Amino acid sequence: MLQKIYDWVDERLDITPLWRDVADHEVPEHVNPAHHFSAFVYCFGGLTFFITVIQILSGMFLTMYYVPDIVNAWESVYYLQNEVAFGVIVRGMHHWGASLVIVMMFLHTLRVFFQGAYKKPRELNWVVGVLIFFVMLGLGFTGYLLPWDMKALFATKVGIEIAMTIPVVGPIAKTFLAGGEIIGAQTLTRFFAIHVFFLPAALLGLMGAHFLMIRKQGISGPL
Amino acid sequence: MHRGKGMKFVGDSRVPAERKPNIPKDYSEFPGKTEAFWPNFLLKEWMVGAVFLIGYLVLTIVHESPLEKKADPTDAGYIPLPDWYFLFLYQLLKYKYAAGDYVLIGTVIIPGLAFGALMLAPFLDTGLERRPSKRPIATGLMLLGLISVTYLTWESVVTHDWEKAKTQGKIVDVSFDQNDPGYQIYQKQSCVGCHGNTLTGGASGPSLIGTGLKPEEIMKIAKEGKPPGMPPNAFKGSDEELKQLAEFISKLEKK
Amino acid sequence: MSKEDISRRQFLNYTLTGVGGFMAAGMLMPMVRFALDPILKEGSDQKLVAVTSIEELSNEPKRFDFKIKQKDGWYESDVTQSAWVYKAKNGDIIALSPICKHLGCTVDWNTDPSHPNQFFCPCHLGRYTKDGTNVKGTAPLAPLDVYDSQVKDGKLYLGKAKPRKGA
Repeated sequence: MLQKIYDWVDERLDITPLWRDVADHEVPEHVNPAHHFSAFVYCFGGLTFFITVIQILSGMFLTMYYVPDIVNAWESVYYLQNEVAFGVIVRGMHHWGASLVIVMMFLHTLRVFFQGAYKKPRELNWVVGVLIFFVMLGLGFTGYLLPWDMKALFATKVGIEIAMTIPVVGPIAKTFLAGGEIIGAQTLTRFFAIHVFFLPAALLGLMGAHFLMIRKQGISGPL
Repeated sequence: MHRGKGMKFVGDSRVPAERKPNIPKDYSEFPGKTEAFWPNFLLKEWMVGAVFLIGYLVLTIVHESPLEKKADPTDAGYIPLPDWYFLFLYQLLKYKYAAGDYVLIGTVIIPGLAFGALMLAPFLDTGLERRPSKRPIATGLMLLGLISVTYLTWESVVTHDWEKAKTQGKIVDVSFDQNDPGYQIYQKQSCVGCHGNTLTGGASGPSLIGTGLKPEEIMKIAKEGKPPGMPPNAFKGSDEELKQLAEFISKLEKK
Repeated sequence: MSKEDISRRQFLNYTLTGVGGFMAAGMLMPMVRFALDPILKEGSDQKLVAVTSIEELSNEPKRFDFKIKQKDGWYESDVTQSAWVYKAKNGDIIALSPICKHLGCTVDWNTDPSHPNQFFCPCHLGRYTKDGTNVKGTAPLAPLDVYDSQVKDGKLYLGKAKPRKGA
């Protein structure tokens, strides 16, 4: 049955080469931990991607309960964590995943750096990777505010004050981020939009480029 | 595959009607122990992923993600702390030459140089040598960066007042009768200024909930003060009111 | 390609599916349970609220408004509900929900001149008899919900409106 549906689609769209190209590409020996245990360092990139998938999924589910509004944000987080079944786990996955993804990305960056894998012809992919790093930090910063608890509010105040010290653009950046003169209702909705729509969109685009370049160039050779 | 003249297509589409036989590439004769991504290598990757996922889920169950009390912008005594991966930047700004008149160094110049160099690494380090030992400048700079970030984060953790951090944001679940005459007196007197609207304390006064004090003791403190923060004669009202207030406060308990 | 090779490949494929399934399940199970929580939560029991003294009730349905405390997740509010209340011939007090069972409009008593002494829903001309049973051939397919009711100290207390079996 499934085979028939597949054949029906394949006849019209010739989809086999699309996934065959990904499925059949060769993986060289030096990145395979089954042959060299030290090759586990190549796992960090994949794990970063895995956590990113978990982050996207858990984030999607969290927004089923969360409200980005200063009156209700904290109440809704408290509710989903304490009243909803598995709320602790789903919020926990998102919370700890945010830290783990930074750790994994950091290790991945160090691996690529110390192996000199960013050198010609892979310069562009390194730049895209660093941009992904920045986007992730941005996601961490904006996500920190969303539960609207004490540490969220005060850490964001500090963060925005730091942005304020940049000459010329500082005050503009501050007002833009805060959505007004104080860190309040408008800041929260802004951070929510940035955290949920803008940065993830940028992240998906950059990750797409990152993977495309890896497929095109292949993984860097052994040292 | 058929090419050129006589090619057949599916309907009027651009999809060729003839199909290539679907034979996976054979890597057995490749140099080294190369293998196909699907399913050989992916299986290994996913096994690592599955082990990782188990650890991850255990972590989320063992350590409940923290939630402090609802944001209260008027609580001036709160010591903020960013997420751990921003700590190094936060700590940097505490140093003399990265703060005050020199704040630009701390917020723009040092991070800008560090992250700028990181991003442009392939264009700064253009040599063909890949081994870390053969490119000492790049390796040295990265190690320097790593050490300073680690040191700054460490310093920030050590200097933070964790004892206070533990209590300052705690969710305090108390319910008391807002119409209690004791609370009315509490609001009329200057108590609110330091001990807060919900009696949970604030910048300069401790929490009044669950003090475990007897009414007489509270009356004494209200009149005579309590060093260092509580001034004497803070209470200005009749003895009857003082008694009501003291009884109200001594009854407050943590839930 | 030898036979052995195919079976090895197939074995790898099965293992891969298994490991992938395990990961997907581990990841999604908590999330799906989290999303399905409202379905699996037991309905909250509503406290009975005093609506009126029974002296005000007669044989003619009369509309009463009353306030209940509604807890909707993290949001608590006072919500006004209304009921059509009358005394039946045998002395029972009957309190009907005014929500039409067709599409949720509000029904009124005795407002359709051609069908007196019936509940009438203006949206799709639905009608119910005095005991709340839907008149066959009109839009609604079920009788009006009945409130849990209780009389205490000469006062009528109403609880949750509960659906009855279709007529």
